[in-house]
Amino acid sequence: MLARWKGQILATPVTLWLLLAFAAPLAVVVLLSLHEYADPFGPLFLPPSLAQFQLVLGDGFYVGVLVETLLLGAGVTLLSAILGFPLALWLVRVPSKWRALAFMVILIPLLTNVVVRSLGVVLLLAPDGLINGVLGLLGIGPFNGMLYNHVAVAIALAQVFMPFIVLALYDVLQGTSPRVYEAATSLGASPTMAFWTVRFPLAFPGLRAGIIVVFLMATTAYVSAKLLGGGRVWTTGMLVWQEAISNLNSPTASALALLMTFASLAFAALVGWGFAKLMPWQSLKPRGPTLTLPVWAMRLLDLVAPILSRLLVACALGLLILPLILVCIQSVNNVPQGTSAAWKGFTLRWYELVFTQGGYTESFVVSVQLALAATGFALAISLPAAFALTRFRFPGISALSMFWTLPLSLPGVAIGIGMLRLLQLFYTVPTFVGLMALHVVLVIPFSISLLVASVQQLDRAQEEAAQSLGADGIRRFVLIVIPGLMPGLVASGIMAFLMSFGEVTVTSFLTNARTTTLPVRIYAEATFVLEPTVYAVSASMMLVTLLALVVMNRVFSVDRLHVR
Amino acid sequence: MNRRTFGKLVLGAGVLAPFHFVRPALAQPAPGDELVVGIWGGVQERIVREYVEKPLVEKYGCTVSYVLGGTGERRARAYAERGRPSFDVLYLNIFESRQAVADGVTQAPTDAVPQFENLYDMAKLGGYGVALNPVTIAYKGSKASAPITSWKDIWKDEWKGRIAWPTYPGAEGTAGLLMTSLAWGGDEKNLDLAFQKIQELKPFAALQTSADQAFQMFDQDIADLTIEFGSLSRKQSDTVNSDIAIADPTEGLCPAMNVACITEGARNQVLAEEWINLHLSEACMQAYMREAYYSPTVKNVAIPDDFKDKLLTPEQIGRMPAFDWEYVAQQQTAWSSRFNREIAG
Repeated sequence: MLARWKGQILATPVTLWLLLAFAAPLAVVVLLSLHEYADPFGPLFLPPSLAQFQLVLGDGFYVGVLVETLLLGAGVTLLSAILGFPLALWLVRVPSKWRALAFMVILIPLLTNVVVRSLGVVLLLAPDGLINGVLGLLGIGPFNGMLYNHVAVAIALAQVFMPFIVLALYDVLQGTSPRVYEAATSLGASPTMAFWTVRFPLAFPGLRAGIIVVFLMATTAYVSAKLLGGGRVWTTGMLVWQEAISNLNSPTASALALLMTFASLAFAALVGWGFAKLMPWQSLKPRGPTLTLPVWAMRLLDLVAPILSRLLVACALGLLILPLILVCIQSVNNVPQGTSAAWKGFTLRWYELVFTQGGYTESFVVSVQLALAATGFALAISLPAAFALTRFRFPGISALSMFWTLPLSLPGVAIGIGMLRLLQLFYTVPTFVGLMALHVVLVIPFSISLLVASVQQLDRAQEEAAQSLGADGIRRFVLIVIPGLMPGLVASGIMAFLMSFGEVTVTSFLTNARTTTLPVRIYAEATFVLEPTVYAVSASMMLVTLLALVVMNRVFSVDRLHVR
Repeated sequence: MNRRTFGKLVLGAGVLAPFHFVRPALAQPAPGDELVVGIWGGVQERIVREYVEKPLVEKYGCTVSYVLGGTGERRARAYAERGRPSFDVLYLNIFESRQAVADGVTQAPTDAVPQFENLYDMAKLGGYGVALNPVTIAYKGSKASAPITSWKDIWKDEWKGRIAWPTYPGAEGTAGLLMTSLAWGGDEKNLDLAFQKIQELKPFAALQTSADQAFQMFDQDIADLTIEFGSLSRKQSDTVNSDIAIADPTEGLCPAMNVACITEGARNQVLAEEWINLHLSEACMQAYMREAYYSPTVKNVAIPDDFKDKLLTPEQIGRMPAFDWEYVAQQQTAWSSRFNREIAG
């Protein structure tokens, strides 16, 4: 009897959590979107009206921004996939003694505040920036038009989100047995043929997860677009923020957010459907479309692939690391304002300010506590959900999985709008607990997405063998499933921690004087006049992360966790 | 009124009378009280911690906690919390503070703050003005054929394609709209002309969203002219890019001001008033002058000799136009919609 309801039982914790902590603000957003006009002090329940949706859909400007955002998201996703795939392959092939270091290269950018990373990209692309400096040495340029356009925003967003696709791909790529490639090459497949027919299709689960995550995040982002778009690049996130916060017009902002969510979910469904068609083996269907390339293309790729892949890896690493190096340099630059790129002399006064004033240390501790708590809860409820999605079929599972993805596709600022109306209710629970509950909500789509890819890669034969030898469910879970899932759990845990640690949009609405997180503090610094203290904080964070990872690697042999 | 009713009223008044005398005592700050202040981060936070929090804590044994962030988030929260505020004091811009009073979110200023009587008149509206930082035209002196003396000079051919116009809403974007209208014969009630004139300036080199971004565009030769806070521009000119010139147009500078507001229903009214009085003290005002080049909002503070030429003169303050800020705040949604379509789009 219990076995019959196993799928539903596994799906229950995450569903309940989302109903408690996410459905309420979402319902508020829906109710607000049905208001006929804006009234910040009016009641929440009013006779429903479609005026806001008619306003948005009947306005060329709003529709244009929606389309622009979707196209920008698609561009960022494509760029992240093109750069991220070779980087994930490189990560898999790195000798194990260097793997932890290679992982740090991917992880450290994720711990750096998105404001600071975007400013790092500004310092990279600026007319007197690093790229133009190097080109100048070669007698080329300078190019003044690299900043404040869609390409600059796409590059900045790829810098911010590419690590997510790399980690999703890495988990799947390193989980595939090397014997599969050996078999392909022993049957005469060239490297390109082996990649195209074996390695690439087998990476589809990770690619699918990464594409969906990056697309949804890119379409809801607004910080990078604001900093690098020069006021010319509009995203729906920016419009939602402007309507809700600057204009106190929550109804229009809510309608915009919901329409963007529908569009994003439609894209995610399309991606899922497309990949399902490309992976007929997963549904045990006999046939499906096959990826084929003409022979001449295979030969050409055999020739250029070694150079091309190295070039792409170099570009990907450069994009991830160079802005951070510039951030470190800026942290000791004796300029009065953070955006003054010209070198004015060495100083440590920004570090002095960080460590002697401003409460950065307390904020750091709050952020770490919050991120640890959110990660623990998110993993605990996401793992059963991943099994429910992967191994069970029951009525409503598709709708549930869509519901679990919703927090990712709804702009963070929209959740903030919903919570603003629930502030008095929110304050009845301790702020830390309330923030943790919301961080778990924001992290869940990532955890589930990554864990689903990992569960799909589990070797069921091992479990069946253990069962045939008499191991009960608990023993199988502890001795077979958990070790098999460890890379996915680690990747998911790290991702959840980083997501929670860096979250600023929703947190900045709900934080109080005693629970100010580090990103909120950095954001607060940046909203008035950007002082180089934010660079000093970020550089210190990078150093702390590097040291922590090195110590973890020595004590706990972290790199072993990445090997199945 | 019959005798029985009159008797009840007298009895009720008798019962409540002692409370009238006790209430001021209850309202007095007690050690351990927590004052919650919503303010910008960076130099603003550092100055108030040093010159306002320290003396306040020394006097009352209270604690001060800060909610940091941008004006937008702070205002949105204050509106959401109307009637049950979590802030005691919050800092807003000039037009948002006026609107917040009208909307019953914050209190109008009163002489319960002793420094109130020394505030300039324009600093008594919508709260307690704590820093004057009007908006003007900042440009590269080396690129100008002659110093800019009027807002109309922006339309000279030499600036075509080299302007970083500020986005709207925001203090700089608001100034851009209002002063354009004023310069070309309009006012805040008729911005059609301003929108038309600003469209004539297109294409812009960029649209800037903050002072930092504008100065970065100057440093990197992306733009040569923008509309910015005079205080920040002056500091940038003194410390980073000496080529930056700050205009003093004949039409005046556009008023902009940081305003400290006490929320309606603040839990620590006396502490909040004392906080603001300390913010208007000479020590704090002078720190503002030195650190941020902000001009004082009170008349009874000494201006250091070496800063006299960096701050507003009384003549400049007198020349600043007076706008109907409540009307400006009410029009924000309509104007931002129009700006997005006609200027930014």
